[in-house]
Amino acid sequence: MNTVSIDFRPFIEWDNNPFILFDNRGKILYLNNAAEILLGYVSRKEIFELALSHAPQSYGFQTEPVSLRYDVFNFFSVTVGYENEEQLGIRLYNAPRIRNQTPLYGEKLVITNLNVLLEANIALFRTRNTNKLELLTDPDLPELKIDQNTFSKLLRKVFESFRASDSIRIELKMSVGEHVIIEGKKTPIALLSISANGRYVDTDKQIVELSEACHIKHHLHETGIKLEIPLIS
Amino acid sequence: MDHFYTSSEAIKQIVKSLTLTKTLFVSSIVIGEAHTGKKTLLRHLFPDTPVVCGSDPEAVEAALEQNDEVIINRFELLPNKENLDFENKRILATADYVGNHNVIDSLFAFIYTMPPLSERPDDIPYLKRRFLREGAEIFDIDIDGFPLDSVPNDIRQNCKSLKRAVYFHLAIHAMTRKEIEETLYRYFFETLDGNNAYKENIGLFEKPLIRAGLDKYGSQLKLSEILGINRNTLRKKIHEHRID
Repeated sequence: MNTVSIDFRPFIEWDNNPFILFDNRGKILYLNNAAEILLGYVSRKEIFELALSHAPQSYGFQTEPVSLRYDVFNFFSVTVGYENEEQLGIRLYNAPRIRNQTPLYGEKLVITNLNVLLEANIALFRTRNTNKLELLTDPDLPELKIDQNTFSKLLRKVFESFRASDSIRIELKMSVGEHVIIEGKKTPIALLSISANGRYVDTDKQIVELSEACHIKHHLHETGIKLEIPLIS
Repeated sequence: MDHFYTSSEAIKQIVKSLTLTKTLFVSSIVIGEAHTGKKTLLRHLFPDTPVVCGSDPEAVEAALEQNDEVIINRFELLPNKENLDFENKRILATADYVGNHNVIDSLFAFIYTMPPLSERPDDIPYLKRRFLREGAEIFDIDIDGFPLDSVPNDIRQNCKSLKRAVYFHLAIHAMTRKEIEETLYRYFFETLDGNNAYKENIGLFEKPLIRAGLDKYGSQLKLSEILGINRNTLRKKIHEHRID
């Protein structure tokens, strides 16, 4: 029988689901693009331990349902496998994003410099909170189309939840390699993270509603909030 | 252009935020006690923006139809606020109080709180100096002899009461004998009544006369000589007018 050699590596390389191949001591032998992004949010050690705990008893592959959350990443299943004593592979399956059903009202969207809007909201916040605040922004962030009034309300509610917090850190940057599909168009994402020693949760319901109205994915944690802002052009 | 000055850190942040929103289509409201400088601040930052008052709903409606940028003062007086459409407009509003919090919260993206003068004592000397300069022009007097400390700090109604206190302070220094007479005449003309008015009103003359004399000469003996009345008569009047 004739055999044809097919190189499957590019398929793994560009898979949206993270894949990592470890050696038996936890050193990374290979990781695809999605895994490279994931390792910006979770340690190599943690993923290796996850792989060990889900590895099959003997040689082979095992897929198990899980419910994992690493910052902005959610996974619903993992496949772990090994065919020798030297290499252990793990693939994590992204949980599907819930598609936002809110229609985009084009006439409400205005070209906006996100940094200006953020600065204005920080100044508003500073009228009530004089605690230390650290701001890291990307001046090269492209302009985006957004409903400025609704987005400003969202930022006000987000900042309100930090009204009594100390050492607030605000970071706005491009989320490299990530995108979201909005009305059939692949749209890049900017990530706004605000973290502190703690925060109030009384405005969370409004944060969720306003985020959805702006097509923004929100991640609400005990000590921080992350907003994935689609850079609609 | 209306000038606005403050040394308050909170208001400096309001100025910064409002300045940044000059290019954005967002709705902002400044809420605070009456006479804290809300309207002056908005006029200073947005000098060319049409201004309407919440007490005139028809004018507000017309302004919103015709303009992309409007200042609405006394927003709390506006009826049916929940039906307003602020989409893609730059709305700037002032209000003396919040009223319905939910309506304000849903209508406005930027909600600022203007601190009263009692919370920004560093602004008082500047305002006093400004009112003194304005008053000196009106009363045509030289203010070099008016140390700021001698002007009373009446901030019960923020800038309004402070301005009145400064103007009154200037007026009492600027009045001539004839103007004092005219002032008393008007007062008596408006209030004179009853059957014991002489006794009731004589204190208006005697009390300040004796108080000023005692402050100026320090002794009752000397003052009785200056006034040309008996010492016992003076003592009786001091007791009568409860001057201690």
